[in-house]
Amino acid sequence: MNDTTILEAVDLRKAYGHGLQRMPILDGIDFRVRKGDFVSVVGPSGCGKTTLLMALAGLSQPDTGEVRFRGQPVTQPPQGLAVVFQDYSRSLFPWKTARENVIFAMRDTAQKTRQERRDRADELLAAVGLKEFAQKYPWQLSGGMQQRVAIARGLASESDLLLLDEPLAAVDAQTRADMQDLILELAQRFDQTCLLVTHDVDEAVYMADKVIVLSRRPTSVATEIPVDLGKRRDQLATREQPGFLHARHEVMERIRSYRSQMAG
Amino acid sequence: MIPLRKPADYAPILMPLIVVAIWALAAASTSSPLFPGPAKVAQAIWHNFSTIMVQLGATLTRVVIGFAVAAAITVPLGIMLGRLRIIGQLFEPVMDMLATLPPPAIVPLVMLFAGTGDAAKITMIAFAAAIPLLMNTYEASKTQNEMANLVARSLRLSRFETMLRVDLPAALPMIATGVRMAVAAALLVSVTSEILLATDGIGVFLQRQQENFQIAGGLAGIFFISLTGLVVNTLILAFEKRWLFWHYRAQEDAK
Repeated sequence: MNDTTILEAVDLRKAYGHGLQRMPILDGIDFRVRKGDFVSVVGPSGCGKTTLLMALAGLSQPDTGEVRFRGQPVTQPPQGLAVVFQDYSRSLFPWKTARENVIFAMRDTAQKTRQERRDRADELLAAVGLKEFAQKYPWQLSGGMQQRVAIARGLASESDLLLLDEPLAAVDAQTRADMQDLILELAQRFDQTCLLVTHDVDEAVYMADKVIVLSRRPTSVATEIPVDLGKRRDQLATREQPGFLHARHEVMERIRSYRSQMAG
Repeated sequence: MIPLRKPADYAPILMPLIVVAIWALAAASTSSPLFPGPAKVAQAIWHNFSTIMVQLGATLTRVVIGFAVAAAITVPLGIMLGRLRIIGQLFEPVMDMLATLPPPAIVPLVMLFAGTGDAAKITMIAFAAAIPLLMNTYEASKTQNEMANLVARSLRLSRFETMLRVDLPAALPMIATGVRMAVAAALLVSVTSEILLATDGIGVFLQRQQENFQIAGGLAGIFFISLTGLVVNTLILAFEKRWLFWHYRAQEDAK
């Protein structure tokens, strides 16, 4: 194993049900995430992206195969790995303010005193543009703002790897573009390795250094497409670059081939 | 500054006044000593005030102890049973059976083990309060959203921490409903148990008054019991507003 590999999936397999009802979901998933990378995982709908993410996060066990995080096999959620879930309206605790929700993630972190945690939470909330909203409760915030609190919470645990499970699937289009840039900016600023699971091909390519394309179910890795667009991205310029269009084309073509197979 | 009062603000006071007025008229139109008017009852309250307070005090002390015992046992138990699915399912039929059992039915059994003193009454009160508390806590803990638990697990909370810091607060709104039902049941059973196992308490006071044909005195006692219920309910509502505002506000916002 190469030194800079932070997360590794080795021949992950998982099926639901038994006997004749047995339905294989993951059928041998292999890939690596290197430290400092922003990796997108994209695949046709219903291809078991969530199942994969749960296994990567240590929230469920694969039937066979192994997830290795910093070289150690993952059997339960490991320290140093944070998850931002899609369903922000349920993932934040309604009885806690935005600040308290962020502080909730500071369990194994350097901030020990109440004041240190508070300051750190406020710093992170400012980083996601919610400086003024630290005292607000999640239900007083819009969907996009709630997801930004959840992202701040993800950053608060000072993890080596942030797993993002379709974090922008439920926010409106304009907010989504803003939040893509916000996440990219935060990833750089906090030197955060990220793995983004998404169904949106453009988003996958726009955000990532590498796109992992999944096949349809039973799912394996169809192909990995490197995206050489540098770390700085721009909603207009990046999306017009030949490199972007080329990568997008390749991903799209691959996913479309699965769709037509399903239709046929 | 005193805010201007709207007519609607007086509505809660108006209705009791009307009832008292009708009562006074009805009592005045009959000469039966078994139907005292408000004036007679007020007099009885005046005469018996210290006795009523002492007896009510004895009753409420037992209610508080019984309720506290019930809550201390059933809330953690309910959360745990809700979390540990299999054990919860084992206990569910038992809970359903106990829920339909009228608390006075256990009096003979309780007497066998705890006699007729405070211990027996507190046991009955605790039993009556325990059922709604347990059912509501269990139901809340069982049905709460998976996502909160995924978050707790990914933040590496232990099972115990998850119960304390995630499951308990999430279950509070339903527990509050259980509390309201439990307080009503506790008050009911405390008075019933006193009438059945007479030693002291407001229930005993009521019975003595009735035995001596002191209808006005009995009504005075009843007046204070309902007043207690009103005060307790107001207190519960105040607590809910203070601790569960996030639940009610979030629900309003979702509309």
